[in-house]
Amino acid sequence: MSNLELSGMDRSVIGANRAPSSQSGGNALAPTAAKSKPGTRGLQLLSWLAPVVLVVIWEWLAQAGWLSPQVLPAPSKVIRTAFKLATTGTLLNDLGVSLLRAAAGFVIGTAIGGGLGILVGFSRMAEALIDRSVQMIRAIPFLAALPLVIVWLGVGETQKIFLVALGVTFPIYINTVLGIRQVDPKLLELGRVQGLSSLQLIRRIILPGALPSILTGVRYALATAWLALVVAETIGAQSGIGFLAMDAREFLRTDVIVLTIVIYALIGVAADGIARFLERRLLAWHPNYGAAR
Amino acid sequence: MNAHVAPLSPAPFEAGPAVIVSNLVRSYGSRVVIEKLNLRIERGEFVALLGESGCGKTTLLRALAGLDSIQGGRIVAPRRPAVVFQEHRLLPWDSLWRNVSLGLQVPDARERAAEALTEVGLGDRLDDWPRNLSGGQAQRVALARALVQQPELMLLDEPFAALDALTRIRMHELVRELVANHQPGVLLVTHDVDEAIALADRILVMRNGAIAYEHRVARSGSTPISRSELLAELGVNSHSTH
Repeated sequence: MSNLELSGMDRSVIGANRAPSSQSGGNALAPTAAKSKPGTRGLQLLSWLAPVVLVVIWEWLAQAGWLSPQVLPAPSKVIRTAFKLATTGTLLNDLGVSLLRAAAGFVIGTAIGGGLGILVGFSRMAEALIDRSVQMIRAIPFLAALPLVIVWLGVGETQKIFLVALGVTFPIYINTVLGIRQVDPKLLELGRVQGLSSLQLIRRIILPGALPSILTGVRYALATAWLALVVAETIGAQSGIGFLAMDAREFLRTDVIVLTIVIYALIGVAADGIARFLERRLLAWHPNYGAAR
Repeated sequence: MNAHVAPLSPAPFEAGPAVIVSNLVRSYGSRVVIEKLNLRIERGEFVALLGESGCGKTTLLRALAGLDSIQGGRIVAPRRPAVVFQEHRLLPWDSLWRNVSLGLQVPDARERAAEALTEVGLGDRLDDWPRNLSGGQAQRVALARALVQQPELMLLDEPFAALDALTRIRMHELVRELVANHQPGVLLVTHDVDEAIALADRILVMRNGAIAYEHRVARSGSTPISRSELLAELGVNSHSTH
């Protein structure tokens, strides 16, 4: 630009000015005017801007000494701690222990909640016998039962798995019953017209029809499982991510505490990702979930 | 349209009743909807059932389909009838061929479904999802699902009512062809007089839970049934419609 100005050629200055301006104008319009793939991807990238800026500011404040490491350590420090604990410490082992607890509790809770849900969904008799009790227990915030659970089971593995299972059971139960009850009666009628046996009716019509609701339950259950695990692990754990955090608290190691919080968050995101992946795969037929064909 | 029916009437098929209904009674509590109704439909015969809404025509169809219990009389049908409803009732989570073969207990279900889908002009969409179909296409799949069972009695419950006029005419052609090829007995419940005239060999008008009027449509060359006569039977003043 300055070169052109020095040469004193007005026309070429105008020309040079115009070309880049029209180009940048085109770029700015792209995401809004045409809803093409690069446009949405651009917006997606843009949505990461604010979190990245926040982390950079956090790092800068910590480096400049405005943030005491006792209060909030720098992100870089947390990452260094993560590497150190992963290579020399017990981080991976603790992570494995936590995941195993969550998985065990989740499987047990899903089996109980799903089993009861299917029973109640199909049989009015089972509903009369089971549903009210389940609803009453559900009214208790399951974390409020923690002291009682500790009295019953102590603070060992059983208590942690029990608490996770307790948190998982109810969302699975409720959404399974709901899903089965919401299956279109016209499709059930069709099944009868086509001569399906009861078992075929369940397999071909009722379970697929209930699946969207059941998967919603799975997603809720993953969230509550995680919450239950965090609470269970902060009490009397000998290993696991929560133990790591409590141990670090004793020594005011805020970097480790922040690290455990971040790990909890990441695993929560991963769990949600798995649930969404399942929805996309299993509900490919569903206009609200499946990728458009 | 006569050309379709005439050469096919001597087609090789076993003659005989598709369904015999005698003294059928259907009531909801104390309200009697069908009272001592008698009806016989031969295989290969296309019967249209007209009537005002609430006259019991859908109730009759549901009783024949075995969907509702009956309070008296007998229904004798050699085999389970196939039903096509007003809504297509396709399972949204199953591909078209899986939908068509629903309830079919044979090892070559996919081949049979493919054949039936080809017959309704959707032979290239076996693995497609129902949500990608138009209303008329979905109803054609429902027809294929009924046909694949090789029914001796086919019950059609206003299957074209929700379709636009042009699609409905094409569906009429298709149904006429399919029935001519497969020769099931057909009971078509409809409120469309023109549809009944276009498709049926025999037109029944139902009133107060019984068959009040019967007209055998002479197909070969004779004058078509008077529309106003039918409308009069349905309680519509004929000159108000002209």
